[in-house]
Amino acid sequence: MTNHWRDIKNADVILINGANPAEAHPVGFRWFMRAKLDPARGPGSGGGAKIIHADPRFSRTSANADQYLRIRPGTDVAYFGGLINYVLQNKLFHDAYVKNYTNASWIVKQGYDFTDGLFSGYNAQTRSYDVSTWNYETEGDPLPGPAGTTQAKAKRDMTLQDPRSVFQLLKKHYSRYTADVVSSITGIPILEFESVARTVGEMGKPDKVMTIVYAVGLTHHTTGVQLIRSAALLQLLLGNMGRPGGGMNAERGHANIQGNTDHAISWEILPGYLKIPAPGQKDLDDYVAVSAPKKSDPHSWNFFGTNYRNFMVSLLKTWYGDKATKDNEFAFHYVPKPATNSSWISIYDQALRGKMEGVILSGMTATSIGPDSNQVLQALSNLKWLVVMDAFPTTSSEFWRAPGMDASKIQTEVFMLPCTHWIEKDGSFVNSGRWSQWKEQVIPPQGDARHDHWILADLYSRVKKLYQQQSGKFPDPIMALTLDYKDPLKPTADEIAQEINGKDLATGKQMTSFALLKADGTTTAGDWIYTGSYTPDGNLMKRRNGIQDPAKNDPTGMGFYAGWAWSWPLNRRVLYNRASADLDGKPWDPKRPGIQWNGTTWTGDVPDYPPTMNPKDPAAWLPFIMTGEGTGRLFSKDLLDGPIPEHYEPIESPVDNVLHPKQATDPVAFLYDQAAGRPNRFGTVADYPYVATTYRLTEHEHYVTQNVPLLVGLQPQAFVELPEELAGEKGIKNGDRVRVFSKRGKLEVSALVTKRFGPMTIAGKKVYTIGIPIHWGFIGIAAERDPDLSKYWVANALTPFVGDANSRTPEFKAFLVNVERIG
Amino acid sequence: MAALQERPVGFFTDTSICIGCKACEVACKEWNQLEGNAPHFTADSFDNTGQLDAQNWRHVQFIEKIPDNKGTIGTPIAGGQAWLMMSDVCKHCQQASCLEVCPTNAIVRTEFDTVFIQQDVCNGCRDCIAACPYGVIGFNEKTGTVHKCTMCYDRLQNGLQPACAKACPTESIKFGYLDDLHAAADTRLATLQKQGFAQAQLYGRDTSAYGGLNAFFLLMDKPETFGLPNAANATLPSRNNVPGYLGGAVTAVLGLLAGVLAFRSSRMSGEQR
Amino acid sequence: MPEHFAVAPNWEWWILAYFFFGGIAGGTYAIGTLIRLFGAPADQGAARTAFLVSFIALIPCPIFLSVDLGQPVRFWHMLVDTSAGGPSFKYWSPMSVGSWALLLFGVFSFVSFLGALGQSGTSALSGVGRWLAGAAGAAWSVIGSGLGFFIAGYTGVLLAVSNEGVWSDAGWVLGGMFLASALSGSAALLLLLWRGRHDAQAGTVTRLEIADRNFVILEAILILLFLASVAAAGTIGKLLGALLVLWLLVLIGLAAPFTARGARMGAPAVASPLLALLGVLALRALVIFGGQL
Ligand SMILES: Nc1nc2c(c(=O)[nH]1)N[C@H]1C(S)=C(S)[C@@H](COP(=O)(O)OP(=O)(O)OC[C@H]3O[C@@H](n4cnc5c(=O)[nH]c(N)nc54)[C@H](O)[C@@H]3O)O[C@H]1N2
Ligand SMILES: Nc1nc2c(c(=O)[nH]1)N[C@H]1C(S)=C(S)[C@@H](COP(=O)(O)OP(=O)(O)OC[C@H]3O[C@@H](n4cnc5c(=O)[nH]c(N)nc54)[C@H](O)[C@@H]3O)O[C@H]1N2
Ligand code: SF4
Ligand code: SF4
Ligand code: SF4
Ligand code: SF4
Ligand code: SF4
Ligand SMILES: [Mo]
Repeated sequence: MTNHWRDIKNADVILINGANPAEAHPVGFRWFMRAKLDPARGPGSGGGAKIIHADPRFSRTSANADQYLRIRPGTDVAYFGGLINYVLQNKLFHDAYVKNYTNASWIVKQGYDFTDGLFSGYNAQTRSYDVSTWNYETEGDPLPGPAGTTQAKAKRDMTLQDPRSVFQLLKKHYSRYTADVVSSITGIPILEFESVARTVGEMGKPDKVMTIVYAVGLTHHTTGVQLIRSAALLQLLLGNMGRPGGGMNAERGHANIQGNTDHAISWEILPGYLKIPAPGQKDLDDYVAVSAPKKSDPHSWNFFGTNYRNFMVSLLKTWYGDKATKDNEFAFHYVPKPATNSSWISIYDQALRGKMEGVILSGMTATSIGPDSNQVLQALSNLKWLVVMDAFPTTSSEFWRAPGMDASKIQTEVFMLPCTHWIEKDGSFVNSGRWSQWKEQVIPPQGDARHDHWILADLYSRVKKLYQQQSGKFPDPIMALTLDYKDPLKPTADEIAQEINGKDLATGKQMTSFALLKADGTTTAGDWIYTGSYTPDGNLMKRRNGIQDPAKNDPTGMGFYAGWAWSWPLNRRVLYNRASADLDGKPWDPKRPGIQWNGTTWTGDVPDYPPTMNPKDPAAWLPFIMTGEGTGRLFSKDLLDGPIPEHYEPIESPVDNVLHPKQATDPVAFLYDQAAGRPNRFGTVADYPYVATTYRLTEHEHYVTQNVPLLVGLQPQAFVELPEELAGEKGIKNGDRVRVFSKRGKLEVSALVTKRFGPMTIAGKKVYTIGIPIHWGFIGIAAERDPDLSKYWVANALTPFVGDANSRTPEFKAFLVNVERIG
Repeated sequence: MAALQERPVGFFTDTSICIGCKACEVACKEWNQLEGNAPHFTADSFDNTGQLDAQNWRHVQFIEKIPDNKGTIGTPIAGGQAWLMMSDVCKHCQQASCLEVCPTNAIVRTEFDTVFIQQDVCNGCRDCIAACPYGVIGFNEKTGTVHKCTMCYDRLQNGLQPACAKACPTESIKFGYLDDLHAAADTRLATLQKQGFAQAQLYGRDTSAYGGLNAFFLLMDKPETFGLPNAANATLPSRNNVPGYLGGAVTAVLGLLAGVLAFRSSRMSGEQR
Repeated sequence: MPEHFAVAPNWEWWILAYFFFGGIAGGTYAIGTLIRLFGAPADQGAARTAFLVSFIALIPCPIFLSVDLGQPVRFWHMLVDTSAGGPSFKYWSPMSVGSWALLLFGVFSFVSFLGALGQSGTSALSGVGRWLAGAAGAAWSVIGSGLGFFIAGYTGVLLAVSNEGVWSDAGWVLGGMFLASALSGSAALLLLLWRGRHDAQAGTVTRLEIADRNFVILEAILILLFLASVAAAGTIGKLLGALLVLWLLVLIGLAAPFTARGARMGAPAVASPLLALLGVLALRALVIFGGQL
């Protein structure tokens, strides 16, 4: 989230797409209700915030929304595109904001083009783009960059009239997204779309603000990244980024998935979103030159780019201690430089190709997570060994007894390491709003369970011993690693938290800010964005100055509660908050200030800006300190599938792409099977006429709650939701057993027949969507009670083995199936 | 929390902001150590709990009223009217049918004006089950007694609010002193009415149902939709006492007469013969 | 039309048995008293039988009731308020009143039982027999039969004083209907017991038959009233359908006393009162189960 949970109460309009907060984030949903019940919020004359929910199914969120839009899965780019077009055509954007706070005025290089669904630079052979034309026109002297480098200065046109300006290109790009087109792609009736557009359009006024809330309903698509970008574009145009009540708010997953991501759960990043080094980078200079954002305007602070090296060196010092010296590039070469993509599906793809020896699964179950569980099961049986660290048996630790598997033919050796559940340990949870909140152990470890970090420390120490005894090819990274804990076999969460914060090696004191980190090896920071969380004042994540005393703890009334826990970066509650104030430093909406310039300093939230930088100073930085442009990006050169979001159909789609029938799907979506020389396993509408989407239910947390009796009672078995009309056509009655099957596998579950899924009319064609909750498998209380009934309960048996071009996120949310009644 | 005053307390359950998360159901079970019934898939929307009973002292109802294929705007497909969710519970009636009939005085009114079943007194006759017009009370084979929401009497006595209200994420369940809740409810209703929700209504706020309900509701549809008797149907069991006995007495007299006729007339005729 | 959302208390076989036996106990006592006061001397044997039957039928009643309780050992909580102390009595709760009535009726029924034994030749009890034969005894029987009527009928009021469909819809008839059917059933039972006896007077049997028919007519009227009020409330559906076979039994039971006219001995003589009793049972089953459907 750019903003935070409590901040949602500040919004006038809450636009929810690809998320079901009432069910997946019920506790956070209270803030939606607060906004709705607050008479000061809302479009027009107020009377309560308006919640607009676009979702293929009518969920518990829709039930509480003011307006519900039934949208076909995977078509939100068209929806947002339509809104963008409406805002641009009717000049409803926030003019001053767009001019000064976005890259609307940047001029794009000649050569950039978009025709027939393809951006310039496409290579059909490699299914990839040469992105060199997706860049800015340059002019004048280059700007100084880090360590003696220079960076090109981009050309701008502050009138926004230049046809090659980002603004004009954007306008042209989205002019195709008329209400008609939007309706024929998304299935949203034109009148309904226009009514939403009117409400949303009003949010470009400085005294109105809208928040966009999304989650995996947008990410689980081959166009996931662009789906989210299209929403962000809308927010930039409306001037809603950086403002209380605004922003792009991703509701994150598990209680600590935000913390996971910050600490590099993704293969392509190091802690703090530093890029993983790539092969061929000979030294830190190479690395920084490739990885750090570059300035394109003299007024851009480019804070991230400027400090990249400080952050990286401090990280290396944390890991390798004294072994990281100036002479060895601070042990830069100890960090792996992966040559191939190692994201989620890639792991199983490699195993399928027989190139993966073993896998350690900790706190997740490969089999159920998917996609294409049957293929994942094959992958697991190709391994030599599999380690599962978990508090419970999972569909992965028991994969060899999945229905259809022949255990006698599987050689994989499976190790189950009983692990403490998070209830059994202390530590921090980072919520979607980036608040790191320290929590205590609730119950002591049960049985033989050990903490994950102790298991890993022990594992490390044993591997190190083996290297010491037997040596090996490249022992240095293992030998050099420092585990500077009282008991290196049993580090405490507190010690790790201090390490993450980092310290000044000269004084031994904890660092207070990442701005003080250095590239000379005198500071450490295990994750620079957390520097400041554990200072000489102690563990700030433990702070609890909250609603006991709102007047004192939240003086602005905007809900920042600076003394409650700690949020990255630097306890800032709203990211990009410089953009909440106008050029002079006055809040766009005086009633909803983020930060404001009082003549000498910035007050309010922790400013995203030098605290005493006078906004009227001609040398003042542009508001978006993290980007090279210094502004929000309406046009981005950093993505693999296009600088401006475009609508592409899901890999399996029931209809043509009306915008460009010849290029229906994302041209660079990653087709794993094809890339590996295996045949693609995609179905066509002829055999699989219905769209399916998968999702969560309030009552369960993925698969783990299959071990919790009370929750099993609330949703006792696997089912699919079927539109009433479709059920009628198929002779399926409510409660009947049905078989749902895709090109890849099948489900055999009960049918819940409902009007909450209705038919949609897509370009004149009737399209049905089937809903599939994900929570079941062949393990757990319900499954074990009736093994026969639960044989085919893994939702991901159906989903396609394909990834988004940028993130390689699977397409869980839109694929084709067929359905029939059993018996 | 400071100790509660011995004043009437209750629940204002605002169903218009209920998200059907069932946290209230689970919190109640956790606090009161209820196991729940054996899992059973009902295919009734998202409700697999089914009813209030000895194991379920809160029950979230799901009522689907999705209009058919909606092509234009203006259909009330959202706004809390198309998929109704309502967390049902014992109403802690001012005139409580259960309390009225209980022959053992196991059911009492507490210092907080709530209706409470004393487990050590109840003998499991189940008369209260037949009396409760809301189908609240359930019999537990293991304890041999009946159970229902206690309004978390043990928590109230310790200055804590009921577990269900505490857990409710949207504050759909509001716990408090009854007069405060009445005021909050009136305000909320006025807002909804201003927004054009004509069906919005308070249930149990006034005295028309059982002299007022300490656990009262804001509904987005008529009470019957939620299994709640409307004002006309909200009648106490004791209404049938007088007519019932009277009918019995009249019959007894007639029976007497019938008997006397049979035996008396026979005696005469028998003797004369 | 009233709508009901009350759930079933799951009063089943024990309660049915109690309603039946309670009805017989109360009904026979009342008939015994009627014969005692208005019958011919020749009929007094039947009165004695009635008192004997009354108490015997009463014995299992508290047992049925207690067994039906979730906490049988706490049956006495009906009478003693264990939380506030003192007796537990709520005049507005038929179950409470019924508990006391059962206790009191037990005393009357027991004494009358002893008296009947005394009058039938148990010498140790002849004193009781004599006392009961006197004026004080007459008063005793009158009070006892008042209680008997109550026991026979209050069960209907107990059902009515609820919020259950059917039961509470026929609030004013159920008590009377049960009472009338208790009388008819009791008369049938006495007929059954009396008819076969060697010392049976034809007159007594005839008079019992007349009484039985009178009671059945009363019962039939009340059943019609019951149906009418349930129909008016819109809950009659519950009583039809699955329970149709019980209605058949009720109808046969009502018809039985008339078909048996003139029969003195043999199979039909035994069958007709048995059928009548079965009808009485069926009627109660109909109401009890029908209300809980
Ligand atoms: N109760 C519960 N809460 C959870 C979890 C859980 O398992 N149980 N999991 C946690 C985790 S890890 C995560 S990642 C989050 C996920 O939180 P959410 O993203 O909210 O969860 P989902 O239910 O997967 O998907 C949300 C909605 O997206 C809709 N959807 C699907 N495709 C599209 C589309 O193309 N466009 C639009 N507009 N909508 C679409 C689905 O119908 C669904 O209603 O939840 C977290 N919270
Ligand atoms: N079709 C489809 N597939 C999906 C999704 C979808 O929407 N549709 N959603 C995807 C998403 S967003 C997610 S996040 C995944 C979720 O998939 P998983 O993360 O696999 O789901 P959980 O059941 O939450 O798994 C958590 C496991 O962690 C264990 N655990 C809990 N605490 C600890 C601990 O402290 N240490 C260790 N070692 N283990 C612990 C639990 O016992 C449990 O087995 O599913 C993905 N798969
Ligand atoms: S599961 Fe935990 S983190 Fe998720 S909404 Fe509930 S309380 Fe919050
Ligand atoms: S709702 Fe039922 S159980 Fe609760 S107080 Fe009223 S009558 Fe008694
Ligand atoms: S079951 Fe218990 S609480 Fe209910 S009426 Fe009987 S004694 Fe009273
Ligand atoms: S008040 Fe307590 S007992 Fe009653 S429903 Fe809520 S949690 Fe359960
Ligand atoms: S906890 Fe609150 S929001 Fe959730 S179901 Fe219960 S009443 Fe509704
Ligand atoms: Mo997730």
